[in-house]
Amino acid sequence: MRLMRGWRRWLPGLLVLTTAATVCAQQPDPAKVEFFEKKIRPILAGHCYACHSADTKPAGGLRVDDRNGMIVGGNTGPSIVPGKPEESRLLKRVTQEGKRKMPLEGEHLSAQELADLTSWIKDGAAWPAIRMPASFGKPKPKYEQLKRDHWAFKPLTKPQPPTVSNTSWPVDDVDKFVLAKLEAKGLKPVGDADRVTLIRRVTFDLTGLPPTPEEIDNFVRDKNPQAFANVVDRLLASPAFGERWGRHWLDVARYGESTGPSRNIPYPHAWRYRNYVIDSVNADVPFDQFIREQIAGDLLPASNDNERNRLLTATGFLALGPKDVNQRFKVRFLMDNVDEQIDVVSRSTLGLTVACARCHDHKFDPIPTSDYYALAGIFTSTDNAAGLRNQMGGAGLAYYVPDMLVRLKGSIAPADPKEVARLTAEVAKAKEAWDNIRGTPEGLKRGPNGQPVQRPVRLKYEGLQAELLALTDPAQKGLAAHGIRDAKLIADTEVRVRGEAEKLGPVVPRGFVTAFEVPGTSSINREQSGRLELAQWITSPKNPLTSRVAVNRVWQRLFATGLVSTVDNFGTTGDVPSHPELLDHLAGKFVQDGWSLKRLVRSLVLTRAYQLSAEGSAKQLATDPANRLVWRHAPRRLAAEEYRDAVLVIAGTVEKGRPTDTAAQHLKMIEIRDNGPEAKAIHEASDRSRVRSVYLPLLRGLTPRALEVFDPVEQTLVTGAREETTVPGQALFLLNSTFVRKQSLAFAERLLADSKTNDTDRVRSIYRQALGREPGDAEVKTVLAFLDNYASTYVPPAAPVEKAKPDAKPKAAAEPPPDPDQADQAGVAIVEEVIRPKDARTAAWLAFAQAVYASAEFRFVR
Amino acid sequence: MSENSAFQPSRRQVLRSAGAGFGYLALAGLLGEQTSSAASKQIAHPLAPKEPHFTPRAKRLIFVHMNGAMSQHDTFEYKPQLQKNDGKAGPGGGSLTASKFKFTQHGQTGSWFSELLPNLAKHADELCWLRGLHTDTPAHPQAVVQLHTGSANAALTRPSMGAWLLYGLGSENQDLPGYVTVNPPPNFGGAVNYGSAFLPAHFQGTRIDDNGYLPNLRATAANKLQRMQLDLIQGMNRNLASAADVPDSLDGVIESFELAFRMQGKVPELLDISKEPQKVLDEYGVKPGPAGAFARQCLIARRLSEAGVRFVEVCQPGWDHHNNLHKGLIDRCGSVDQPTAALLTDLKRRGLLDDTLVLFGSEFGRLPTSQGQDGRDHNITGYPMFLAGAGVKAGYTYGSTDEYGIKAVEGRMHTNDLHATLLALLGLDHEKLTYKYAGRQFRLTDVAGSVVSDIFA
Repeated sequence: MRLMRGWRRWLPGLLVLTTAATVCAQQPDPAKVEFFEKKIRPILAGHCYACHSADTKPAGGLRVDDRNGMIVGGNTGPSIVPGKPEESRLLKRVTQEGKRKMPLEGEHLSAQELADLTSWIKDGAAWPAIRMPASFGKPKPKYEQLKRDHWAFKPLTKPQPPTVSNTSWPVDDVDKFVLAKLEAKGLKPVGDADRVTLIRRVTFDLTGLPPTPEEIDNFVRDKNPQAFANVVDRLLASPAFGERWGRHWLDVARYGESTGPSRNIPYPHAWRYRNYVIDSVNADVPFDQFIREQIAGDLLPASNDNERNRLLTATGFLALGPKDVNQRFKVRFLMDNVDEQIDVVSRSTLGLTVACARCHDHKFDPIPTSDYYALAGIFTSTDNAAGLRNQMGGAGLAYYVPDMLVRLKGSIAPADPKEVARLTAEVAKAKEAWDNIRGTPEGLKRGPNGQPVQRPVRLKYEGLQAELLALTDPAQKGLAAHGIRDAKLIADTEVRVRGEAEKLGPVVPRGFVTAFEVPGTSSINREQSGRLELAQWITSPKNPLTSRVAVNRVWQRLFATGLVSTVDNFGTTGDVPSHPELLDHLAGKFVQDGWSLKRLVRSLVLTRAYQLSAEGSAKQLATDPANRLVWRHAPRRLAAEEYRDAVLVIAGTVEKGRPTDTAAQHLKMIEIRDNGPEAKAIHEASDRSRVRSVYLPLLRGLTPRALEVFDPVEQTLVTGAREETTVPGQALFLLNSTFVRKQSLAFAERLLADSKTNDTDRVRSIYRQALGREPGDAEVKTVLAFLDNYASTYVPPAAPVEKAKPDAKPKAAAEPPPDPDQADQAGVAIVEEVIRPKDARTAAWLAFAQAVYASAEFRFVR
Repeated sequence: MSENSAFQPSRRQVLRSAGAGFGYLALAGLLGEQTSSAASKQIAHPLAPKEPHFTPRAKRLIFVHMNGAMSQHDTFEYKPQLQKNDGKAGPGGGSLTASKFKFTQHGQTGSWFSELLPNLAKHADELCWLRGLHTDTPAHPQAVVQLHTGSANAALTRPSMGAWLLYGLGSENQDLPGYVTVNPPPNFGGAVNYGSAFLPAHFQGTRIDDNGYLPNLRATAANKLQRMQLDLIQGMNRNLASAADVPDSLDGVIESFELAFRMQGKVPELLDISKEPQKVLDEYGVKPGPAGAFARQCLIARRLSEAGVRFVEVCQPGWDHHNNLHKGLIDRCGSVDQPTAALLTDLKRRGLLDDTLVLFGSEFGRLPTSQGQDGRDHNITGYPMFLAGAGVKAGYTYGSTDEYGIKAVEGRMHTNDLHATLLALLGLDHEKLTYKYAGRQFRLTDVAGSVVSDIFA
């Protein structure tokens, strides 16, 4: 049932969508507020605050010193339903007879107090609003000027391709835009890349993998004028395209398989969202639809269960953010999650830092706080169904709420009802025992083993609970996803003064960012959260930002730097486009082509600009050292995933295709510590794994060791552009890591196993496979000399040494397992595996293969 | 790359790569060409010590970074008027809130410290206070980045201060990274804060954790074998350097291997603090687990500085007390007071404070007024940091804020001024330490900054 907030009942005229800068913010009825202050607050303060307030504690997760605290309620659900005393748990708990009657200590409520409380709820549960500054909701001259003047808020233009002097150079309109800028600066583009360089470049760019020697040979020999287009089409059709470009979106979507800070709780179903992204890219789902699915998939029509599941999974975008589950207060937990959702949506799709307006009007962009809370109302009307709740402290499954996951369609064999009944009864019994002993002086006493007496009681309860869940929780059978759904309570929300969750300002109607106009926007369906209309507003062809931000991201992936270099920030503190007309040309064409990522990528890599050589030239370097005008192709370092994948492919050890199983999906939603056994198991699973890097477990804070040193994405933030460093830590990884050594050995052994060939051909083969080219004669000679020299000098490595972090001390056997809250965060023992080639010759080939893997030529794409 | 290029670059290619530093030298050597030994030294070791612009007052810097904005009003900014007017309206709005912590005077200088910093207070007479600092943006991500790089402009990432120092001075120790950052915050700019941006990649900071752990540090082959392998790798890299389409960061790649090779030999020993005498470990308060993390960082900082690392940064996050100020400060001060004091004592005892400069502080300060029930909001208009050691006056205070500690009134120093002054102490003229990029000369101090020479010893 949909519930209405009290304030809306008083003011039906409020049901108007506002897109103007002024806000129809409403103050509560003064008479009702007076009643609250005189009659109700004293009841709450006198009878309840001792256990249910910010100053004391939120017992059972409930706070009654805050209106929203009562509406969202505690662990058992909402405490009040404004307008509906009969549905309000608060009244039940203070009137029911028995030992749980509230308050547990002190006097119970008088008949008059009960009557007042009932009529207050019936009347809408009025609460005083905080007075807002006089400037609140009023147009600001500075904002009005920015709305008019800032380039990114202006509607898309349809620029004509410029005329250029060198008419023979361009092969596409894009080239004309590029060349015109170069000519204006008196610059010329460098020559075209050679074919070997080009196919290596485009294969890495489109699939994140190196081309095979056969693919290179075929392309080099192919005299067909369509040869390059054919290569591109082959790559676009390959499943590896989705693995590479899906990963790009996962960077932007701050994808991670756990909550991250404070208490790191796994998201065991996150892999479904990852697969959804990869599959959608491979199916070339139009980008506008792709965005709509991720913001409002649950509200879109589906023709069958598979489609429904796909759309529900898409909403993982909004649920898989970092979360502070250790937050004491539910209202703060909810508002922090809403903030995270606003941030990821606004930065990923619009390139705007809307979240800056949570506490105050945006300092640089025309985004008032009222816009923020207009969006916040959409997300407070949405359940963040990640499967979690907030809790201050707690172990085991304390944070897991099975009902707060999104159920997928499908059937599982029902569990044996007898067994379920038996376990349910046992769990109830165990819970009672736990509730009775928990925190009592008796329970906290130390037993003979030094542990609190209550500990085994808790463990028994948790064990039985887990057993019951294993039978009854569909999530454990895999029929669940982390996602979102419309909340039971659909309502506009209040401004939170200075961003403090409890400080309620006026209610603002749900709506969108008002910094720019999107003609034809539909108003929000009052029966729903408004995510569908938000998604439609974002993906409207008339939205000036979405298509620009999207094509700019694609440009950056192919040309190293975005036309707007700050790919996640199109606001006034961001960069201005180097080629504004080209940006609009691409955005317009993208929309016209049905928001097809594949068509956009195809058209860009077929430009002459993309196919330039990476050659430097003194004049250009002096005039435009950063290559903003695209006079050459910018060489780039392989990304972390590309490096690992290329090493595996060339060693011949890669497991092709998608794994059916990952280590992360078997984790329970129980906190994992960096130095705990689960973390160790995840690291070891990643170390062992030979699947493509996009499929590795990616729990926040547990970056796979084979990716760690190569600037992998920061998983908690929207990241459109990664760092690209070359530090000694990378050199140490290349020289000493188990991963590189092991793959080098595999590569060497594979070559040596072929007895029909000779060493010169083996050297050639390594060059062709890893670097895509034939070695020169001098290079072969150098390598052969190295191999001889190395083999004759070789001594086998010493016995393995267990290397522990300096302060990782072994625990005494008698020591009780630590309380999770007091856990020692010292590092885990690091055992570095020693790779042992079987003889000196293999060792020499290993060393050579490793040298190739370490070489700059292998690690860069030119 | 063309097939015939291996070790036989064309004359044209050699000339073209002449500006490219290491690549040129390597080729010149291979081709048997003569280079002057000075030039050779300079090019062969981009981190080799360089001549400063003038006689330096300090050789190296340790930055003790209190990330998140430590409340000066509860620690070392004593304002009698604030104590007197507790609860009254502040001049800029809000309710003035005196510290709940007791302040007392210390040392000959009578410097005020709150009871939260008993150990640091013992160094009262050695500190050089900058009390009139101000910066531009009251938000952590921007302010932390500005403190580290001089600019918060997201559109163009600038090199970090440590990278500029290495670029200007080189490294004292060729077997170690010249710039080490311990446990840097993963947010607020992340790697930007120790990155090299458009400066060559070998000037960026090396990140380690508070256990001194740097993965893959243990050599996996005998030294002689690994050197042989490394020569092969570097040969391939130099070969690439002769190509026309050289990645800009190739010199950084080449240098990173040499450095890595030397680090294998020296660093594990250096980062192993367990060999320190128990007395020293106790002095810092080193213990396992998170409670001892900052103590370990400080001890690592001393060991690295002693070994000649030009710039070391250690970091204690968690000062952003919008709420829970009281307990939060007790906890945070409890973790930094003893180790920071021990660092100063230890540096002094070893004579290192004569040529090592220590900087302590946050990206900005907090307001003397209340936020919520138990918090203070950001203040960028006036806040303190302190310096200690080489080149600065001991027991000296430069600058001050108004009677409530809101706005810097005397001796005002913008972040640019702070940077200019730090560079000057290290022998660099901030207006001459430039690097040309995107058509113009860039500086750490952008187009501003004045050196505050009043504080020079």
